[in-house]
Amino acid sequence: MRPATVRHRWRRHAAGYAFTGPALVILAAFLLYPIGYSAWLSLHEWDGYTPRWGPFVGLENYRALAGDEVFWRATLNSIVFVVVRTPLEVGLGFLLALLLNRRLAARSLLRTLFFVPVVMSLIVVTIIFQRVYEPNTGLLNTFLTAVGLGGWAHPWLGDPATALPAVIAVSVWKNVGFSLVILLAGLQGLPQDVLEAARVDGANAWQLTLRMITPLMRPILALTALLSIIGSLKVFDLVFIMTRGGPTYSTEVLATMLYREAFELNHMGVASAIAVILVAVVLSIARVQAFVMRESREGEAA
Amino acid sequence: MSNVTGPGRRMSRRRLLQLGLLSATAPPMLLHSRRAAAQIGGAQPAPVPAPAGELKNPVEFKGPKVKASSPTTLSFWQYVGFHVEVQKFIAEEYKRRHDPNVSLEITAYPGLNEQRVGVKSALAAQSPTPDIIAIEPGAYAVDVSASGSVRDFTRVFAEDPEYKRGFWPNALELLTINGAVVSVPAVTNTVIVYYNRGLFRQHGLEVPDTLDDLKKIGAALNAKGTIPIAYPAGQDRNFPLFPYYTYAGGTRADKLMREADLGLKPWTSPELVAGAEFVEMMAKSGLYAKGPLGVKEPDAIQIFATGRSAMFWGGQWMRRSIRAALPPSFDLGLFPFPAVVAGGHKPVLSSVGITLTVNARSKHPDLAFEMIKALTGAWGKIEYTKNLGLSPNGPIGADAIAYQMQSLKDPLYPEFLKLQPTGTTRVIFTPAVEEAMTQGMQALITGQKTPKAVMESVEAASQKVGTRKFRAG
Repeated sequence: MRPATVRHRWRRHAAGYAFTGPALVILAAFLLYPIGYSAWLSLHEWDGYTPRWGPFVGLENYRALAGDEVFWRATLNSIVFVVVRTPLEVGLGFLLALLLNRRLAARSLLRTLFFVPVVMSLIVVTIIFQRVYEPNTGLLNTFLTAVGLGGWAHPWLGDPATALPAVIAVSVWKNVGFSLVILLAGLQGLPQDVLEAARVDGANAWQLTLRMITPLMRPILALTALLSIIGSLKVFDLVFIMTRGGPTYSTEVLATMLYREAFELNHMGVASAIAVILVAVVLSIARVQAFVMRESREGEAA
Repeated sequence: MSNVTGPGRRMSRRRLLQLGLLSATAPPMLLHSRRAAAQIGGAQPAPVPAPAGELKNPVEFKGPKVKASSPTTLSFWQYVGFHVEVQKFIAEEYKRRHDPNVSLEITAYPGLNEQRVGVKSALAAQSPTPDIIAIEPGAYAVDVSASGSVRDFTRVFAEDPEYKRGFWPNALELLTINGAVVSVPAVTNTVIVYYNRGLFRQHGLEVPDTLDDLKKIGAALNAKGTIPIAYPAGQDRNFPLFPYYTYAGGTRADKLMREADLGLKPWTSPELVAGAEFVEMMAKSGLYAKGPLGVKEPDAIQIFATGRSAMFWGGQWMRRSIRAALPPSFDLGLFPFPAVVAGGHKPVLSSVGITLTVNARSKHPDLAFEMIKALTGAWGKIEYTKNLGLSPNGPIGADAIAYQMQSLKDPLYPEFLKLQPTGTTRVIFTPAVEEAMTQGMQALITGQKTPKAVMESVEAASQKVGTRKFRAG
């Protein structure tokens, strides 16, 4: 390419570069560089205290993770978190959005109430639910006993069989309001003439929801699901505060394992390897989601 | 020799201790003191009755050997918010009386985890800040010392042997890594059993001497619908280990446990497997409140304070929270855990909690050492523990206790002081071993694994670490 042409093109796009430049610099400094740094660190041994990294160990940290029972347990728990939380959060959010999209007497109040957990501090939420789940005096067991279901009273967070479902339930409770708000905005943006035409053609409420609203809402539902999946994969604080990954790793997820390896066991290389895997998984899911969305849009257009 | 100044007299430290020992009136204390002498460095004296008029700290606040030549701010990162007030007070007194150029800037992190992450980042970046670091004995002390991140106290102790003698020897032993004392304790404390005296009286129960007594008390309380022990095993990673440490302390296997921790002995020896069996037995005994791994400290305190449980197994550091939760009519008592084997002694778990050290890259190491000496020295330790209700880092005189009791007004404080010298340690130095122990004890409490399987997994974790790069104790 001739220099004059390059200069011309550069001049044509100068404003664009000027506007995006600062954002790109910030992105590179605070996102790309740390990701690259972590990836490089994952190929080393380091205790996190000594100023210099330990020796280059290649893929040894990844190999160690592949042979680590706890890693697979944490991976499985993270998958369970995604598989259980996302449908519940999106499904409940959608149902509530459909309900609140109707003309109800206390619609504004209900919207606010469902959104309150989203804006509540996570620490406060976890402390409240620790008390709710407390086996001896907690609200849940007290309630079950009061209604004659004392046999169901259980040490919810103290039993490996129930600890993960109990934590996921809190996560759904905390985040369903967020899905609700996005989906409600989506519902309110649907073309009313199309829905009205369906009604005139004799579609009942069930058919309208299933055949018209749900397909029209697919992009918004996909976005909500993507946000929920990414949120589930990244979950750390809720688990860390409520159970610290226990008992016996029953609630350990990739993020809590990463923390434990980095700051309790001083395996910074292994922790970085987990971080790299987590980033790769999140990016892959986002990519798959984008691909599915594009295919779906192209299918509709055709 | 450095002297302790009393009101109107001067008295040697040895003499003061002798007087204190003589004034110890409780028979159990006398029984313990002989055993304790070898283990921890002597018994605490009981307080003398406070005479009329306000008492003063009976010990001289000694000046530093090194002073700042220009205004200097020492940074101090710690993790115990409720210590800030007293630390500030001592630092301000130090500035006022001895070195007007030195100020202490305290950063209190919300918890140990957060502080450890902050410290780790600073040390990795070779930062000279903070000058003074609060660390815990065990893996944290090993981490900072093995990486050469902190200074040791060898020179300070050589220059001031009296300062070294002011600490309980076993507290310093916990902080001795590769032969160097890497940190000094600000306070010490114990893990004991708090009990509701009123409930015990109401049900005609006596303080248990043996494990069988405790089991009988448990059965009697369960029959009456009262939870025997509120035990917050879900509080953090350390709590599930309490029963194990208790058994190791009660059978004098704590030394063996240390050797196993350092990879010198197997965790699968009969003595150490017996500790796991004890943990399992306790979990199945019906003594604990339901689902101990789901019970956190505030929950357990609430269960105890509202009279739902008759006992609370916890630490001296919880004393403030417990006191705040109890109704005024609550008659609170404490006792050491009963003997876990026939004819054995009553194990009291001891710990040193927050300890202070100097960043190896501090620009003012000598001033930092002087500040630590002010906080933990003979005068400082009396002020430090005066309002916290925690035990000092070493023996203090009867007149010092009387001085503290003026403002503390906590009848249990002298009881804690009596128990402190009988304490056995509860620290694991190897992080991977601690992790395996925590998970193993959780598996025992939830009935997922057998004691033998748990100790085999701990041994496997220990072997995976290989030869330790440090010596401890």
